[in-house]
Amino acid sequence: MMQNQIHLWAFLQGIGFFPTGWKHERARPEGVFHMDYYTRVAQLAEQGRFDAIVFGDQLQSRGAGGRAPERLAMPTLDPVTLLTAMAAVTKHIGLVATVSTTYNSPEMLAERFGTMERITGGRSGWNIVTTAHPDTAPNFGETELPPKDARYRNAVEVVARACELWAEMDREGPELPQGRPVLVQAGQSPDGRDFAARTAEAIFCPAATIQAGVDFRTDLRSRVAGVGRSPDGVRIMPGLSCVLGGTEEEARAEHTATLDLADDALAIEYLSESLCCDLTGFDPLGQIPVDEILAKTLLPQGDVARSIVPGAEKGTPLGEFAANFMRHPRGHNVFIGTPEQMADMMIEWRDAGACDGFTLQPSYMPGGLEDFVGQVVPILQARGRLRTDYPGATLRETLGLPAREAVTA
Amino acid sequence: MTRPFILSASVAEPAFAVPGHARAVLQAAEAAGFDLLMLGRSGERPFDAQVLVAWAAPMTSTLGVVATVPASKAHPFHVARALSAVDFLAAGRTGWSVVPEGAPEGMAEDMVGAARALWDGWGSDTLILDKTSGRYLDASKVKASNYKGAFFKVAGPVNAMRPPLGHPLLVVDGDDPIAIDDADIALVSDGTAAPQATKRLIKVGADADAAMLAERFEAREIDGAHFTLNDALTQLPQIGARLASLLAPRPAGDLRARLGLPIPSTASNQPGGAVIPEIA
Ligand SMILES: Cc1cc2nc3c(=O)[nH]c(=O)nc-3n(C[C@H](O)[C@H](O)[C@H](O)COP(=O)(O)O)c2cc1C
Repeated sequence: MMQNQIHLWAFLQGIGFFPTGWKHERARPEGVFHMDYYTRVAQLAEQGRFDAIVFGDQLQSRGAGGRAPERLAMPTLDPVTLLTAMAAVTKHIGLVATVSTTYNSPEMLAERFGTMERITGGRSGWNIVTTAHPDTAPNFGETELPPKDARYRNAVEVVARACELWAEMDREGPELPQGRPVLVQAGQSPDGRDFAARTAEAIFCPAATIQAGVDFRTDLRSRVAGVGRSPDGVRIMPGLSCVLGGTEEEARAEHTATLDLADDALAIEYLSESLCCDLTGFDPLGQIPVDEILAKTLLPQGDVARSIVPGAEKGTPLGEFAANFMRHPRGHNVFIGTPEQMADMMIEWRDAGACDGFTLQPSYMPGGLEDFVGQVVPILQARGRLRTDYPGATLRETLGLPAREAVTA
Repeated sequence: MTRPFILSASVAEPAFAVPGHARAVLQAAEAAGFDLLMLGRSGERPFDAQVLVAWAAPMTSTLGVVATVPASKAHPFHVARALSAVDFLAAGRTGWSVVPEGAPEGMAEDMVGAARALWDGWGSDTLILDKTSGRYLDASKVKASNYKGAFFKVAGPVNAMRPPLGHPLLVVDGDDPIAIDDADIALVSDGTAAPQATKRLIKVGADADAAMLAERFEAREIDGAHFTLNDALTQLPQIGARLASLLAPRPAGDLRARLGLPIPSTASNQPGGAVIPEIA
């Protein structure tokens, strides 16, 4: 076994991490509607010896205030479908689908993932989410999203029941090669972290700095130990995006060029979706309409106020605020530099105990993934930090976990 | 176009969820000239067919793949999204068949109505994908469905596109208690009534007589045959060989074009399927 091996996951929802990514000359926004694109990117990730491909998912209708965004690309194709199709064109890579415990029954989940587990030959994983967006409820005949503590209590029960159903399916045959899908989670709140510690074999988080990574991983490992599990049986995988260049200056120029693909209208649509309030009718040169936003948003007002009030107090115009907001998507680490520098950074994080590996979120697709696999992967392999071949057939083996686990959550 | 004899079969073997077996069955169905392969059937669904049609999409190139969907154990929002994605990956070769077993009366029809409403919430020409102008889509073509049925209430718009077929081919089993009068295809037994516009496939066992089928097809009593298989790998090639003379070449294109089945006007407020703009 390699020393401090770096695990890689590819988070491939949409056309890339940057909201402007779809407009990049090396992006293929039409690709996500065609099988050949998925064949290409799945084989590329497998060539880069990634543990797994993950697709995120959301169940709310897009469009704050009932207006569908026109300039943001959000092709939310069903992740189980995309990943299962990708299994048909790959041999080793794991396939992890994000599915909600709040809007699926245990029976539906067990049947979906049980089938996925069989047809992928033991390469399936479930990124368990409880769904946080309030606009989801009306798509399921409800008026309100349950509160977070209730959602996590329900998630515990749903996962436990699904595990019982998988045990039955496995007994009845055909067997589930891993006994059940690999369980993955990304909770950040105390409820979320406890649920992850009890349940997950891999955990995502945002970590913008190495210290944030160390803090999160240390906290999670102690929670995992606290429920009687081995911390070494859990992979902590912070998000990581990147913009690469032959020199640091080139990388910076490319980063700026990618951000500059945004216009005010795109930035304001992005802000509208993030704040859950349609701001497209407001003047980009005018003030941030704080009162309107707080009155209309469906998100917790405190969270929204924290993100907009400082800007409003400084008098930042709406368009400029929106453009700045878009520069730091979702609190993740965005690396800008050369492939060598990126490999150095990844090794440093790993050796410092800030992570077990990274969830790569390419800045645009498929160009961003091509660059990483072509330029960074060979360096990590040459330095003995990334596998050059897969150790076995199932995702659990790829993760370095026992091939089968007792089937309880 | 000449009227096609539609050749269909259903598989419900648990082993179809295992990759080696599923691959062989799909290849056999395609080699034998089948138009449709339905995964699962009323009373026999040993797998989640919506997952398996996704796996089948890149494994096949002409076969129509039909997922059985249990009305009692599915939600139209999830179903509409999953089948939309499958239809893109299969380039317009998808079908679905809602199975009412175990569901209260009316639920299967409600499932069909809700999913159709969600697919119709997106215009055929919604996507623009213009990097220069920065317009990704035309928001005026995206509409909330606000579907309210007895069982399902779904606001929408669905966060998935209208499928390339517009609506995946809807197949109903004419012996099931399901009242849909604008399905694309009905699987019928002798004496089952089917609405005029719906193609009628007679349900037969693997040893059905080719001459009898040809005669009934010529007499326009049926539009094809649906074989209920219990040993797909053996039966598919045998059926293909026996019925080869009935199978005329199909026109190129998606499943609706191949089988001459436009979306019934009662089923959709949009003329066709989603168009993905080409990018230079
Ligand atoms: C890398 C990453 C990816 C995530 N992907 C999704 C997703 O696709 N869908 C979703 O509903 N939530 C997603 N989440 C949200 C988490 O499930 C979780 O709700 C969030 O981190 C906040 O934690 P909390 O639920 O404990 O408040 C993601 C979080 C992270 C860090």
